Amino acid sequence: MDILRPDSLEAARAALKNGSVALAGGTELVPLLRDRIVEADTIVEIRHAVPRGIQGTRIGAGTTLGELEVDPQIPDALREACRLAASPQLRAMGTIGGNLLQATRCWYWRLKYPCWLHGGGRCFAHEGLHREHAVFANAPCASAHPSDVAAALLALGATVRTDRRELPIAELYRLPTGDDRRMTGLEPGELILELEVPMPAASTYLKAMDRKRFAFALVGVAAARSPEGTRLALAGMAPIPWLLEDESALDEATPLPGNAYKLEIARALIRRALVAVAP
Amino acid sequence: MARLIRTEKEVEGRYTEQWIVVDEDVLEQWPAGPLETVGRPVPRADGGQRARGEARYTADIKLPGMLHAAILRSPHAKARVRRIDTGRARRAPGVRAVLGPETGPLTDEPPYEGAPVAAVAAETSEQARTAVSLIEVEWERLEPLLDPEEAVRRNELIDEPNREERGEVERGLAESDAVVEAEYRTQTVLHNSMETHQAICEWDGDDRLTVYISTQFIWGVREEVAKRFGLPEDHVRVVCRFMGGGFGSKNGPGDYTYVAAELARATGRPVKCALTRREENLDSGNRNSTIQRLRVGARSDGTLTFLDGEFVNATGWDGWLASTGGPMRLLYACENVRTVEYGAKLNTPPMAAFRAPGFVEGTFGLECLLDELAAKLEIDPLELRRRNHSTHDAVDERPFSSKQLLECYRRAEPHWERRDEVRARSDATWKRGVGLASQVWYGGGGPPSYAWVRIGGDGRAAVITGMQDIGTGSATAMAQIAAEELGLPVDRIEVALGDSARGPYATISAGSSTIPSMGPAVRAAAADAARQLIEIAAQRYDREERVLSLKNGQIVSSDGGSWPLEEITGLLESGQILGKGSRGPNPTGMRVLTFGVQVAEVAVDVETGEVVVEKIVAIHDVGRVINPLGASSQVEGGIIQGLGHTLSEERLLDPSTGGNLTQTLDAYKIPTIADVPEIVTDLVDVPDEHLTNLGSKGLGEPPIIPTAAAIANAIRDATGADVRSLPITREEMLRALREASRQPAREEVGA
Repeated sequence: MDILRPDSLEAARAALKNGSVALAGGTELVPLLRDRIVEADTIVEIRHAVPRGIQGTRIGAGTTLGELEVDPQIPDALREACRLAASPQLRAMGTIGGNLLQATRCWYWRLKYPCWLHGGGRCFAHEGLHREHAVFANAPCASAHPSDVAAALLALGATVRTDRRELPIAELYRLPTGDDRRMTGLEPGELILELEVPMPAASTYLKAMDRKRFAFALVGVAAARSPEGTRLALAGMAPIPWLLEDESALDEATPLPGNAYKLEIARALIRRALVAVAP
Repeated sequence: MARLIRTEKEVEGRYTEQWIVVDEDVLEQWPAGPLETVGRPVPRADGGQRARGEARYTADIKLPGMLHAAILRSPHAKARVRRIDTGRARRAPGVRAVLGPETGPLTDEPPYEGAPVAAVAAETSEQARTAVSLIEVEWERLEPLLDPEEAVRRNELIDEPNREERGEVERGLAESDAVVEAEYRTQTVLHNSMETHQAICEWDGDDRLTVYISTQFIWGVREEVAKRFGLPEDHVRVVCRFMGGGFGSKNGPGDYTYVAAELARATGRPVKCALTRREENLDSGNRNSTIQRLRVGARSDGTLTFLDGEFVNATGWDGWLASTGGPMRLLYACENVRTVEYGAKLNTPPMAAFRAPGFVEGTFGLECLLDELAAKLEIDPLELRRRNHSTHDAVDERPFSSKQLLECYRRAEPHWERRDEVRARSDATWKRGVGLASQVWYGGGGPPSYAWVRIGGDGRAAVITGMQDIGTGSATAMAQIAAEELGLPVDRIEVALGDSARGPYATISAGSSTIPSMGPAVRAAAADAARQLIEIAAQRYDREERVLSLKNGQIVSSDGGSWPLEEITGLLESGQILGKGSRGPNPTGMRVLTFGVQVAEVAVDVETGEVVVEKIVAIHDVGRVINPLGASSQVEGGIIQGLGHTLSEERLLDPSTGGNLTQTLDAYKIPTIADVPEIVTDLVDVPDEHLTNLGSKGLGEPPIIPTAAAIANAIRDATGADVRSLPITREEMLRALREASRQPAREEVGA
C-alpha cells in the first residue's frame, strides 16, 4: 500500500483515482483498512489539500473536532456534538469532514457478516441483536448513523462545499437502495472542502449513551432555532442523520423489538432540547 | 526441626487438603495498628517505572530471532473442518511454520466461536496474520447449543449439579410470615486485561524451555507446560516480571502458550503468541452469565426462616461450576438453606475465574432479594442484615477465624443515615437514593509459599521469591513486611520476583491469596535473617541477645548503645546473611473469610433511564492492612470493575449463530474515568488473631462483590423499580420503571 501526501487540492484530486482512498485524521479509515472493510492500494493524505480552521460561519473540512469544541464562535449544538463525541485523543485527530462520512457502528457490518449493507441478502440485526440500531427507515438495513456532528449540522441547516459543488447537508446523505447501497451521494474522489454553518438564535445537542463519555449515540438530539423556525435532527436513529419535523414524527418510527426504548429517550431529549432553545 | 503437617487450602472457594513442612518457630503476631512501615501508606515501588513506560511487560519483550504467531480461529460456534489447505499460507512471505488442527491444542471440531484451529509463525505479526487469512477451510456448520436453560433440560452439563441443603426449606416456609420470590439474571462479562494473553517460548536444545508469559501463576504454568512436553519441571523456566492484568483469566498457560511452544520447536526460534483485542474478547475466558431463581422467607421480626436458590451458570464449553450459591450458604444465619447449581455446557467460549467468580453474581441476587424482603417487612435493610448476622459458619459448623462484619455495619451507619437527605435532593426527573449490600468471600490463602531474604555487606536486604506481582502492588507490601521485621527503611529492601529459576515456589495470585499466602513467608524469612543479625551483633558488641533489637537501620541495645547495621554486615565484605521462611498452616477447624459492606448513592434520570452512581463507600474487613495506599487502590479498582458489570458491560452473542458481537472496546463498554464515582475506602484493619503471623487476609476480590447489589438497591430506593437483571442499561432501567409504574403499591406485610 502506498501513501501519497499531495500539498495542493489539485494534486489531491489527481491522486484520488480508482483504488485510492482519502485520509484525513484517520480515526475512522485506519480501522476500516486494518479490518479490510475498505480496500485500497493507495492512501491519499489530504491534510494539506483541504482547508482547516474557522472563519466566521465557514469551517474548513480539515478542522479537528478538538479545535471546534473549544471555539466560542461556533453554534452551541455543533460545539456540544464535538465535545460529546469520542475521546480527547480521537477528537485531536478526527476532522469534521471525516466525521460526516463515518460508517455505521453496526456490529454485524463491522464484523463483516455478509449482510445487506455489504452486498448480501439480509440484515442480520433484524433477527439478531439491535439495541443500538435504527428506529427510522430501518428496512432493508437497520444500521444507525453514528455522527453527532452530522445531526447538529442538519439541525443548523449547514451547507457542504465540495471540490465540485455546494449542497445542503441533508442532500449529502441518501438512504441506501438495492441498486446502490451507499449512504452518501458523493461521487468517486469528491472531497468535502468546507462547511457553511449559519448562526442560529439558539441551538443545542443532547446525547444519550451507554456511559458518560466515549460512546456512540444511542440517541442524539440536535435542535436549532432560527427566524424560520426550530429544526430537530437525530443521530443514531436511522441509517443516515435524520431530520425530524417535530416530536410527533417519532410516532412514525418503526422500532425493532429490542430498540423501542430509543423512542422513549428521544421523546425526553427532544422536550429538553426544545426548552433549551426556546426564546 | 522440620515438622510434617496436613492442612486445608482454599483457592477461589475450592478447598483441598495438603501436606506441608514447617521448619520455623511460630512468630507472634505484631500488635494491631500501624507499625514502623507495615500499616502505613507506601507508594508502590515500581509505580514510577510503570508510569514512565519503563516496566518491561511480556508484550514488550523482543528476543533475538523471535517469530510471531497468529491463530486461525473458528468463525462458527459449532463446526467441523471438512477440508483444510495450508499450502498458500506456507508459501506466504515471512512464514516459517504452519500447524494444522492435528496438532494440539488446535482442533478440527471447534466447539465454540474462537476455538483455535490452525497456527502460523512468521517473521512479523502482520505476515503471520496475512498467512492465517490464506488458510482455506471448508466448514461443515453444525447447530450450536446456546441456551443455558435448554442445556439444563437436555442434561448437557459441565459437571454434576451441586446440591447443598441444611435444615428443611419446607419447614422454614411453614414458619414464614413473609416470602419473596424473584428471578435475577447476570450477564457474561469479559476481563479485558490491558495486556492481552500472551507468551514467548524459547527452547534451549530439545529438553529445556523458557516461557515468558503474562500470568498470575508462574509455578502453575511451569507444572502444566512441563507435564505437556514431558520435561522435568526444573527444565522449564517461567518468567513474568511485570503483568498487565489478569483478574482470574491468566491462572494457567492457555492454548496460546502451547501454540508458541510447538511453533518454537518446529522452527528452532523463539516464538511469541500474543492475542489481539478481538481474540482476547473471544477466547480468553469470561465471567459466565447466570439465571438465579431465589426465594426467601422471614418472620415478621425479620428473622430468616429459609433461603432457597436455583442457579444456572452458562459455563460454556469448558470451565467449572463457580459458586453462585456461595453467598446464600455463607452470608446469613439461617437454619434452612437449599441451593442447586447447574453448569450449562454450551457452544460458547469457556468461562474462567473472574474476580470472585460466582460470588459477584450470587451476591447481586441474594442482596437484592434481601432488600425486596426488607421492603415487604418494612424493616430497615441494614437492620435486617444485622438481625441475621451469623456468628459461625453454618455450612459445616465451624467458628470464623475472625469476623468484623458488625463493625463494618457500624461504620456504614453515618453513610446509610444520609438516605433522607439524598432522597430529598430528587426532582421530577432525577430521583436519588441510597442502597447497601454485604460481602462475604474467602481470601485466607494457604501454604505452600516460600521466601528467602539476603542481607549484603551494605546493610541492604533483598527478598527473593518466585511470586508474581500482577499489578496489585504486592511486591511493595512484601518490601514493607521485610522492612518491618528487619528494622530497615523500606527503600533499603529490594524485591526480586517473577522468575521460577530465581526464587522458591510461591502462591498463585488468585483468590485474593498473594498477601495472606506470601506475606507470612516473607516475614518468616526476614525474621530468620534478623535472628542471625542479633546473634552476630551480640557476639561482636558483647551484649546479650535479649537486649538487642533492629530499628531504623540500627542495631539498638536497651542499654542505650546503637550501631549502624552496615557496621556489622560490612565485616563480612562479600559475605551475606541468608534467611528463609515459609507459609505455615491455616488455623485448624476454622473458617477464614473476608467480609464487608458497601453503600451506594445513585441518581436516576427516570425519563431517559440514565443511572449515575455518585458515591460508593466501601467498608471491608480483611484483617491487618499492610499498605493502606495500595489497599485503597485495590478497592477502587474492584469497584470500577464492578461498576462496569452493573451498568454497561455485556458480551453479546448473536442469538442464532452464537457469534460474539462485542469483540472490540467500542462495542464492549467498560467504564471511563468520567463514570467513576467518589469512592470512600474504610478498612477495619483488625488482625485475624488465628491466621498466620500477620493476621492479613486478601483484598483483591472483596471490593467487586457487593457493588452491583448496592447500586441496584440504591436504584430501588430512588425509584421504587426492581432492577433484577444486569447490566442496568437504559433500556433495562426504563423497562423496570415502566413495570413499577404498572404495579400497585407493595403488598402488605404477611405471607
